[in-house]
Amino acid sequence: MRPTAALLGRPYRKLRLTTKDINKGFYKGNRTGSMGTHTKWGGYKIDYDKVRTYVVPENLNEFTLTPFVSQKIRPKWGDYSEATDKMGPRSPALYLKRWKEENGYD
Amino acid sequence: MAAATVVRRRAGQLVQTTLPNASTATTCSTSRFAPIASQAQAQAPSLIPDCPSSRPSSSRPFSTTPSLGKRRVRFRDNNPNRGVSVLYRSGPREPRSMSRVDLPRPRDVDLKKLAAERVDPDHGLWEFFYDKMAANTPAESGEHGRSWTVEELRAKSWDDLHKLWWVCCKERNRIATAANMREEYEMGFGDNEGDERDAVVLKTMKSIKHTLTERWYAWEDAVKLAKEDPEIDLTAGEGQAYTPRDYLSEEEIVEAQITAPKKGEGTSIPPPPPTSRSRDVRGGAKI
Repeated sequence: MRPTAALLGRPYRKLRLTTKDINKGFYKGNRTGSMGTHTKWGGYKIDYDKVRTYVVPENLNEFTLTPFVSQKIRPKWGDYSEATDKMGPRSPALYLKRWKEENGYD
Repeated sequence: MAAATVVRRRAGQLVQTTLPNASTATTCSTSRFAPIASQAQAQAPSLIPDCPSSRPSSSRPFSTTPSLGKRRVRFRDNNPNRGVSVLYRSGPREPRSMSRVDLPRPRDVDLKKLAAERVDPDHGLWEFFYDKMAANTPAESGEHGRSWTVEELRAKSWDDLHKLWWVCCKERNRIATAANMREEYEMGFGDNEGDERDAVVLKTMKSIKHTLTERWYAWEDAVKLAKEDPEIDLTAGEGQAYTPRDYLSEEEIVEAQITAPKKGEGTSIPPPPPTSRSRDVRGGAKI
């Protein structure tokens, strides 16, 4: 009895990879990211540029939009025929044109 | 003289209470706690102790002999527990030491009222719940629209997108709380609807990120484009960056063409033909 060839292939792995399965130096982490740096004396220095800060927008309670849009409203396609660079909504020329028309200040 | 015992059921438990009323005790002449002298007159002992007799109380002879509190009737199989049954709540044969003591009653408290007094109805943590309920019904969670499309979000300002992102986060918190509650109380339904709702919110959040990323790259390239634009001087200071072409004199136009030599294609100074330049710009941008 042998497993099928597809199961023997490299990308397939039935068990999750742990630090015990691999050579030393493998850091798996928990996807949280660091908040600072280790010092060479074994301490830890917190870098406040790395510490997560969540900015709550003002007047959030008065905000009326929801994560949902009514099913009765059909999604529309945008018109980006003005963007001659064929970049559509990502066109920098269009961005600049709109800035000139609407802002032009900062 | 012992008082008659009454076996009642209270809150699903077997309780023996003592009737304090002496007249009731005298009417119960068939009680098994009757004096020994009267046992000859008494009827066969009954397992149902409270049986108000129709006989007049004067037929009971007076006796000062204390009750032994223990019946001496021998059953045919010598089983002392004959007839004692939990199922039909016969009660124990002999009174227990606590038989005269009533069971403690729980305090008469309206828990909902108490909770309403102690819990702030406007507490921020209530935002984790739908209408302060543990979880909404599957029908309620299924009632939602579609997600926002990127095209719709392109028209929104930064502040709107920021707020919409937070609204989405709160909605996801509510969905996750309801899912947790369903698991905790083993409701066994509504997971599918909750997951579908979550997927729609996630799609909206993904569209928000799409919009903002696209806007960022467009701005990045637009700044490069602006440096080549004769109408725009980014070093001029705040509020001075843009001078429309209509207000430029001929000399200034020529000057602007000299300072931006790549621009000088004929007399007209249109915004640069974006096809060729934007390709260069696109190559420089980190996409």
